[in-house]
Amino acid sequence: MKKKMTKKARIEAVWGLCMIAPTIIGLLVLNYYPICETVYQSFCKTGDFGKGNEFIGVTNFVNLFQDAEVFSTLFNAAKYTVFSLPATVFLSLVLAVLMNRKMIGRSAYRTIFFLPMVCAPAAVAMVWKWMFNQDYGLLNHMIGAKINWVTDPKVAMIAIVIVGVWGALGNNMILLLGGLQDIPKDYYEAAAVDGSTGVHSFFHITIPLLSPMLFFIIQTGVMGSLNLFDLPFMIMDKTSRAWPSVKTISYLFYEYAFEQSNRGYGAAIVMFLIAIIGVLTVVLQKTEKMWVHYD
Amino acid sequence: MRTRKRILAVLLVMVMTAAMAVTGCGSGDSGDGSASDKTITVAFWDNNQLAGLKEIADEWSKTSGYKVEFTAPDWGSYWTMLEAGVSGGEMPDVFWMHSNNADKYMAADVLLDLNDYIEEDDAIDMDNYFKGIADLYNMDGVQYAIPKDHDTIAVIYNKKIFDKYGVGYPSEDWTWEDFAAAAQEISDKGKADGVYGTYCNVSSNQDGWYNIIYSYGGEVITPDRKASGLDEPATIEAMKFVAEKILPACPPPDSMASTGGDTMFLSGLVGMICQGSWAVNNFYTADNASDYAWALLPYADVNGNGQCEPSERCSIYNGLGWSISAQSEKADAAWSLISAFTSEEGQKKQSELGITMAAYEGCSDAFAEAFDGMDISPFVDIEEKGTLVFRPYSKSMALWDQDISDALVDVWSNPETMEDTLKQLAVQMNKRIAEE
Repeated sequence: MKKKMTKKARIEAVWGLCMIAPTIIGLLVLNYYPICETVYQSFCKTGDFGKGNEFIGVTNFVNLFQDAEVFSTLFNAAKYTVFSLPATVFLSLVLAVLMNRKMIGRSAYRTIFFLPMVCAPAAVAMVWKWMFNQDYGLLNHMIGAKINWVTDPKVAMIAIVIVGVWGALGNNMILLLGGLQDIPKDYYEAAAVDGSTGVHSFFHITIPLLSPMLFFIIQTGVMGSLNLFDLPFMIMDKTSRAWPSVKTISYLFYEYAFEQSNRGYGAAIVMFLIAIIGVLTVVLQKTEKMWVHYD
Repeated sequence: MRTRKRILAVLLVMVMTAAMAVTGCGSGDSGDGSASDKTITVAFWDNNQLAGLKEIADEWSKTSGYKVEFTAPDWGSYWTMLEAGVSGGEMPDVFWMHSNNADKYMAADVLLDLNDYIEEDDAIDMDNYFKGIADLYNMDGVQYAIPKDHDTIAVIYNKKIFDKYGVGYPSEDWTWEDFAAAAQEISDKGKADGVYGTYCNVSSNQDGWYNIIYSYGGEVITPDRKASGLDEPATIEAMKFVAEKILPACPPPDSMASTGGDTMFLSGLVGMICQGSWAVNNFYTADNASDYAWALLPYADVNGNGQCEPSERCSIYNGLGWSISAQSEKADAAWSLISAFTSEEGQKKQSELGITMAAYEGCSDAFAEAFDGMDISPFVDIEEKGTLVFRPYSKSMALWDQDISDALVDVWSNPETMEDTLKQLAVQMNKRIAEE
């Protein structure tokens, strides 16, 4: 049986609700309402300006599964994830371990690596766009080659991955640093007594104890990179022949929903993406027990 | 102790709600609160025109007693703002319309029906405006916007580059073949310096290959806007000319896709480009403006008589319109402002101030004089020496425009596929039009 609340507890609950009301209302109005609206619109042939929506059932989804572009753009997003995520995790782990040692100018280095996080993504993309410029860009000038960074279909995705990894390093490094500092020093000392060396300790103490943080980074990384939109949008020109090889499914959604005002089909695309990310998240959660250790 | 905490909590909540109320009011105010009495809000996307339009509006304010408040976000934000305004109910009173979006806005009843106003206003008669623009903003006999301006295309060239390689300046009797030959000569001689003759990207349509198509007698869409013209022989001939003669004289497609034509021209890397009258100020205020000169668009000698008939020299033109929100509570005052912008007097002033050319026919001569030290008469001259063709559009333009652009990206790298691609595009475009 549920226990009846005392008067005091009830008052406290009411006050608690009042206190979080601004956030709850914000979430309801700004997040949950649009989510429901998007689900509804995905079953509609939408009219301009949100007027005259016409319910057409699953037609949008039927069209979606016959649309080759949906799958090619999804493939691009997956490609980005597969390239960028391992690199991000590996490099930020290395950086975090290096930044965790006692060394001169440690906070300066930490700041430098974290800096990309405080820059506006659009500004970052614009600067990279100029660095990548094949004729007048800094990058080609420095390495003395003529690589068509953002116009060669074979290279463009690598260029995007470079920017993506560079941008994500700082944040992940800080998260991993936090995780590293939670590991008690005694473990290493005890291991050292038993003859464990640096590398051995790293794989047998650091990695397992860091696994919750690594798991978090991988999971948010998968979501973030499948949703990739801003980098290709800002860095690439749509008249580049490499554009089809980096156009992501989020961009396809944007193209339909906002450029062509076909909200319904756009909503269907985004629902499809949500479903995929949802499935991946569940799979990741299921594997969690296999390799993530909480002390 | 506990009471003190409680009081503190209550105080905190009060402060927070008060702050929210204040900010809430603040944002409401800028929308319609303060605007409710004697202010007309005007929105458009081209900051270049702000100073000039303000001058005309200030003049109007003196007689009307209304204040005019301008906002000029960039092109993309402008349409997002309008779209949100329509759904959210906060629209500027007066704003610009464009051929890309006009159909959608007119069909959705968000623009004020201007027929009655036009009838009552002696200063406005739709017959005075360029027909293409007036028709564009008319749906089923209802006028939803008054034409604001028109634009044409001309060639801008860098005298220094032409001198350096000993190539003759563009002239009035140039055909497109001459244009391509001169461009090729510059590209050949300028190879070592990385200088190219001209620039024509996939996206350079209104200020590029559209003009060539119509000069050759082709068309992008039929005049009744019911079928694609991309598979017509003349269109194919024109585009094959672009692929075989113009593109080889341009920077490689990859370079064009990563650097804009204006940027390359202004950096002295391209000899000449076709440009629209809307961009004059950009070149007028450039560092090397004294090196630049404008020339008439070339013509295509279709009948082979060695002379230019007006129909062989085509410039695409487009025009914006002034609209009033159907929700505006100050529609009368808003109309009065539009009338001031679009009357003969207002249109002449717009040209004089160098804002843009007029939509009112015969009011654009002053525009040619508006830029001291730079002769931009080719933009005005083409009205007599050539033919103005309204920018091709139809209801589903956003869709077929994208299709064309996507398909041409491949052609730009493989010019020999032009004919086949155009034929496929025509089929695709006809399908889009049929679904309108």
